[in-house]
Amino acid sequence: MKDRLHEALQRSTADYAEIRFETLDTTGLGYRGTEVEQASTSRFAGGIVRACTKGGWGLATFETLDDLPRKVEEACRCAALVGKETTQLAEAGAPSDAVVRAEMVRDFRGVPLDEKLKLVADYNALLLKTDPAIESTRVIYNDSFRTVHFASSQGAYYLEERPRVVLMLMAVARDGSLVQRAHDSIASAVDYGAVLGLEAKAEEVAKRAAALLKAPSCEGGTYTVLLNQDLGGVFAHEAFGHLSEADLLYENPQMRELMYLGRPMGVKALNIVDDGAFGHTTGTQRFDDEGTPTGQTDLIRDGVLVGHLHSRETAAKMGAQPTGNARAERRNVPPIVRMTNTYIEAGEQSFGELISGIDRGIYALNMIGGQTMLEMFTFSAAYGYRIENGKVGELIRDVTLSGNVFETLNHIDGFGNDLLIADSGGMCGKSGQGAPVTTGAPHLRIRDVVVGGR
Amino acid sequence: MEDAIFDRELADRLQRGVDLAMQRGAAGAKIHFNSSDITECSFENSRLKSAAVQQTQGFTVEVLVDGRRGTASGNEVEAVDELINRAITLAGVGSAAHFSGYPAPAPVTPVPMFDATVPQTLTLEKMVADGQSMVDRLLDYDATLSVEAGGSCDIFRSLLVTSGGVCHPSQRTRWSLNNWVQRTRDTDILMCGFGRAWCALNELYDTDYIVEQTLQDLRYAEQNVEPPTGRVPVYVDPESLGRFLWPILMGVNGRNVAKGDSPLKGRLGEQVLDPAVTVVDNPHEPYAFNCAEIDDNGISTREQPIFRNGILERFLYDLDSAGLDGAEPTGNAGCSAYAPGVLPGEQSSKELLTGIGDGLYIKMLMGFGQSNILNGDFSANVGLGYRIKDGKVVGRVKDTMVAGNVYDIFKANVQLSRERDPMYRLPYAVLQGVNVSA
Repeated sequence: MKDRLHEALQRSTADYAEIRFETLDTTGLGYRGTEVEQASTSRFAGGIVRACTKGGWGLATFETLDDLPRKVEEACRCAALVGKETTQLAEAGAPSDAVVRAEMVRDFRGVPLDEKLKLVADYNALLLKTDPAIESTRVIYNDSFRTVHFASSQGAYYLEERPRVVLMLMAVARDGSLVQRAHDSIASAVDYGAVLGLEAKAEEVAKRAAALLKAPSCEGGTYTVLLNQDLGGVFAHEAFGHLSEADLLYENPQMRELMYLGRPMGVKALNIVDDGAFGHTTGTQRFDDEGTPTGQTDLIRDGVLVGHLHSRETAAKMGAQPTGNARAERRNVPPIVRMTNTYIEAGEQSFGELISGIDRGIYALNMIGGQTMLEMFTFSAAYGYRIENGKVGELIRDVTLSGNVFETLNHIDGFGNDLLIADSGGMCGKSGQGAPVTTGAPHLRIRDVVVGGR
Repeated sequence: MEDAIFDRELADRLQRGVDLAMQRGAAGAKIHFNSSDITECSFENSRLKSAAVQQTQGFTVEVLVDGRRGTASGNEVEAVDELINRAITLAGVGSAAHFSGYPAPAPVTPVPMFDATVPQTLTLEKMVADGQSMVDRLLDYDATLSVEAGGSCDIFRSLLVTSGGVCHPSQRTRWSLNNWVQRTRDTDILMCGFGRAWCALNELYDTDYIVEQTLQDLRYAEQNVEPPTGRVPVYVDPESLGRFLWPILMGVNGRNVAKGDSPLKGRLGEQVLDPAVTVVDNPHEPYAFNCAEIDDNGISTREQPIFRNGILERFLYDLDSAGLDGAEPTGNAGCSAYAPGVLPGEQSSKELLTGIGDGLYIKMLMGFGQSNILNGDFSANVGLGYRIKDGKVVGRVKDTMVAGNVYDIFKANVQLSRERDPMYRLPYAVLQGVNVSA
């Protein structure tokens, strides 16, 4: 493969060209209610040629390697049409011949289909029988094995295998026309065993959905909010992380002025990190999709902005080093700058210390989703509790938090000592692409958070 | 069937695949082929960034074995037989089918969806020139803007072959043209934009109009103002009205109904929405973005009212969900509406706006789908919205949340404009019962 890709790259007339060829094998099984809802498998192969001439990019996708030389020429033609400036790409440190095979504790490819379906069926049965209010359920199992070949006109080549297994549990409870849902999920890049033994989690999901039927909606207003680790991690990712992505900054003078390195960014105790080489999570890969080795990037250190996330182009144009954050979702899309494993570092306070200082507030847990428009963010907790006089009180639903990141990072006044980075199969959406990421945080206490409510 | 687009060799290949599945014991089989050729360009940070030529294709095989379904997909034509084998294996553990076989061909309403002038006219050079013109005009208004723009010209082909005897090719063109700007004033950031897409090259392809929509948002947002709070009237443009209707359309999804997830289950014939609201799904509008002749089981699509004068008239079913719920299939793939339009009201959009003493104009919501949306609940940040005072837009509101339940807000006092957006087929509206907090 290496020789074939390099041979095709000989056709390049661009300043720079690269080919990424991928195969992807997936299996999906799902229950909904009492029935199997999904049983599917897929195998796709193909890739993309990316060429850069005078700073302009040309792209050509392909489904078969037979077309490759012609696709290289097509991408180069597109790049020539676009480019009017100078090609600037920072040195990637890409390998000339690296092979990164998946190292799995238990490989899901060796697990019989019947066994996978029984697992899903058993979880589903548990969800259905845990509470009489449960009317419907969803249990979805997906595994995927992605193999990436990358070669560039600068002599780089790597092969990397990226396995992923995800299990999602959801319960739907109903009382008349009122419908409430609860869900949880877990993912792994190394072990099919990660989706086994989740019976307690399934019971908790079903009980929570039933309990939410009786929970009042959160009243809108401004509160002191305690975020659990899952939600704190989403906050780090959504509220701040996207602002650190250099493709938003590198050619935008106002944004560069706003997000300059050295800018105070939050309280002194705040430290945020992105680490594409962290452990063996589904957000981890050895090389990004430009061939740059991944690693740890400090983004905020002691409340000061100290780093951005870069591709080769953004790094060159901002005088920085590539950070290994150019990632592509699938075979036929170009890499874009995005996060990997992003987390807020732990502080020193216990949960009891954090909550004891709150007279009237909200304890917000887990997340349904999050979205940002740069400085504005919003994210929805899966559920919450009132906090009254320093104690966890009544269960509440419809807890949606919103704010301005520059203000909110200055309103964090408590960091727990309980950092948790959970691999829950989270996908980050950006520019029409989804990428597996993980997020993490300790419990966080934040003052003056706008909470939407009815 | 349009002979000009019919690929006999491919059809024969897919038919052989269906026959193979039947020989191996399947009670039914279908193979759906899709391919696309896309040419596009994009501007980022106010400069031309990339041009792309994309070709993709894929096959999806579904088989019915002993009352269960198995599905396999891939993109290698030589692997079709292998996909059939995998689908048959999967059917052993697959979902129970609530139908006995794929239906025989029925009369199809021809829907124009291919316009040869799209690829002839929208060359890469033309799209680059139009994109540059939009960027230049937006920078003329404010040179500090960071402008994104893009255009694409697509040709999609599909072929469905089923064991019921359906062999249906289709070919569609589609273009898109859009812009998106970011204005950064210290930590005050505004993002807005506008886009159009259609299957035929017509008056919707209008760079002046598209730019003007974005400029209007920039003008409205020149100053930030305090938001109203409490329950205030909300004015929405057609795109935002579609967003507010989305949970209700999830409620009429026949799969959600059959599975008991929809709050509309058992409510056919009830007055669910304000009598002013009539929602019609029309997949037959020529060249519309989501127009369709058949669904993915070969069942003919149809124009059908979902709510007439606020009364729930029907749920949308695909083949399997219809069987599950004891209903007739409505030709809606995935039980989703193709192009749900809302019939217009009587007042002009300007009259609706000027009739508001103190209210909120919502252009964009963040996180709308993050609440318990199937139940109709929403709680979202106003990503882009304006305060209306004495019938006029007075400035942008920020850090503002809206919350409510769509079934409650569409139940009464809905006012709709007599103009409808030609792409969304939706009017402007004034909605009551939305709670605003800041």
